Amino acid sequence: MKAVLHMLRKEFIQIFRDRFMVAIIFFVPLVQLFILAYAITTDVKHLSTVICDLDNSHLSRELISRFRASGYFDLNYFTRRPSDLKKLLDREKAVLALVIPAHFSRDLKKFSSPQVQLIIDGQNSNASVIALGYSLQIIQRFLEDQLKGFLGRMPELGQYIHIIEPELRVWYNPNLKSAYYMIPGIIALLLTIITMLLTSLAIVREQEIGTWEQLMVTPLKPYQLILGKIIPFALLGYLEFLIALGIALLWWRIPFLGSIFLLAGFIAVYILTTLGLGILISTLARTQQQALFLCWFVAVSCILLSGFFFPIENMPRFFQYLTYLDPLRYFICVLREIILKGAGIEHLLVELIGLLVIGAGVFSLSLIRFQKRVS
Amino acid sequence: MKQRLDSRLWAVAGKELIHILRDPRSLTIIFILPLFMMIIFGYAIDMDLKEIRLAVVDYSRTPSSRRLLQSLNASPNFKICYWLDSSREIEPLIKARKIRAGLVIPRDFAEQLREKSKIPVQLLVDGADANSASILINYLKAFLADYSLKPVESYFTPLLRVEPRVWYNPELKSANFVVPGLVAIFMMMICAMLTSITLAREKETGTLEQILVSPITRTELLVGKLLPYVLLSFLLTGVILGFSCFWFKVPFRGSILLLAFSSLFYIFSALSFGILISAVAPNQQMAMAISLVSTILPTIMLSGFIFPIPSMPKILQWLSYLIPARYFLIVIRGIMLKGVGIVAIYPRLIALLLLGLWFFLLSQRRFKLKLG
Repeated sequence: MKAVLHMLRKEFIQIFRDRFMVAIIFFVPLVQLFILAYAITTDVKHLSTVICDLDNSHLSRELISRFRASGYFDLNYFTRRPSDLKKLLDREKAVLALVIPAHFSRDLKKFSSPQVQLIIDGQNSNASVIALGYSLQIIQRFLEDQLKGFLGRMPELGQYIHIIEPELRVWYNPNLKSAYYMIPGIIALLLTIITMLLTSLAIVREQEIGTWEQLMVTPLKPYQLILGKIIPFALLGYLEFLIALGIALLWWRIPFLGSIFLLAGFIAVYILTTLGLGILISTLARTQQQALFLCWFVAVSCILLSGFFFPIENMPRFFQYLTYLDPLRYFICVLREIILKGAGIEHLLVELIGLLVIGAGVFSLSLIRFQKRVS
Repeated sequence: MKQRLDSRLWAVAGKELIHILRDPRSLTIIFILPLFMMIIFGYAIDMDLKEIRLAVVDYSRTPSSRRLLQSLNASPNFKICYWLDSSREIEPLIKARKIRAGLVIPRDFAEQLREKSKIPVQLLVDGADANSASILINYLKAFLADYSLKPVESYFTPLLRVEPRVWYNPELKSANFVVPGLVAIFMMMICAMLTSITLAREKETGTLEQILVSPITRTELLVGKLLPYVLLSFLLTGVILGFSCFWFKVPFRGSILLLAFSSLFYIFSALSFGILISAVAPNQQMAMAISLVSTILPTIMLSGFIFPIPSMPKILQWLSYLIPARYFLIVIRGIMLKGVGIVAIYPRLIALLLLGLWFFLLSQRRFKLKLG
């Protein structure tokens, strides 16, 4: 055990000698956190819209003003020539076009159903569906109000109009602030990347420059070597996680409903799995460059499959099963559940088992590979 | 003099090329991993919320409430997983993450339906995942509005017909949007990683000093280092793009030559970004850490890859101008899905060129400081 302590001392000296390294480990994630906390929203707002009003009547202007008032659409272009629409959409100047036909107002009043055209840039299929939904809602509201106007004259039709409206109760995050959900997630992502990369590089680097052999001829056993290599990063990662999370929760005033100790326990388990991944990568890579690309692969895969950016329910079945191999999937869920919902351990057993199984699997795999390489 | 300059530059480029080719294991990794990732994420990334899991409580138990719930269950976006007797049963289900939301229909639903023009139903939503929650709310509102107006529409001929037309991606296939996007963001990350270690490696192994005592100038060194990677990245873009278009059958409406030409601008700016990292970082470890951390999340989140830039706060919109992928995403999607020509994209190419030059000049200056 004493041997490991000496090794630890060496590693810590090596890490702290490099002030640049310490800065990277501590500050870069914090800076990124502050920038990216606001970035993500799949909500669709400020869609650049072009209006082609061929009627130019009181009613058509009323419809247009409703589009403007909704806040979803920025009415940036007005044109009378339908041929302009393609040009604007091609150049990404606008993503939605509303075409109101000539005689719109007259036809509407005569019940001869004029046809309004909505042209949407369908590249981003999700955003397009949402935007179409918004526009249809606006048009429907407009119609309702017109109908009410007509109904003043035809009261017997009143019985046909009933609008069912949902009364919203949003739990755990009543204002639907995306920061509540983003921030713990981003901290988790950044720490995954950094701890995994630095562990794998620390080992591969010694192998690449040849000092690994020097360590091998010391009385240290291979597992002691690995312990000496990963304990500093485990401690640093752990400390940083707590600090970053603490700062973030205070700064954004995110309510913390769960148990801090439970969270601290989960963080420890999670960091072990990322370090295990780091060791596994180091046994697969011969050079630091290879380690970098493998880390990139693992990090991006973990991030995109974690359900953080893209809901897991949407993935095809096979890929949903694949996400069970992703430790980040469990961890992000754990963070959200403990912080925002105050979930106890009884709600998080699946996640705990998942993390432990993956951690144990990764560790034993990397030790097997490691032993092979040593002998 | 001209002759000598060229030969020195080619010497550096040649040396770097040998470096790359000598390590087939790394080359294999660089070519295979992105293809593998394309296959996974081309399928896995789909933003549309399908089958939102709901629980419902029907206090009304009338034909009209049952009709509403049945048509909700039949709609492609919602799936009613639990029919509960009391709204108190909803919270445990949300807590256990069995459902995303619960819908409660009041006891007097049918009476209200006859008398009032606005009928409230209650929607209880799990807001912990704010994004999915707001999508869910919008879907449900749209569904209810549509459902409410149906009887009116069928009574008199539709008052107003709305003709929605979807351009560029008429079947609204997510892959058509995601696959070109993935090519762009992967290339950004790969290019930056590739060049980020070139100078850092020389610093670490001490060979930089050997180069410094040679008559080569900084610019020659940097350009010489960049050139082989331009070639490598260009090849890689072709392979990834060709493979994924073929695999996912993404339409390619524009000119391949134009895309190849534009990708050179993108590669240049991404590689220059890597060189900048390399000039700043003291060793390989740091260069790698910076390149991973500074490319992965910002490229995914700020480029417009999935998350619309106009919805972001203003400061982040300005910041996104520094992300090369922002421009190339529009270029590659424009050429592939819209079939646009050079006229529609040239401002983006100029932006990429300027950004690349800026990164390059910045690294040249930083590098000079290191020499002194």
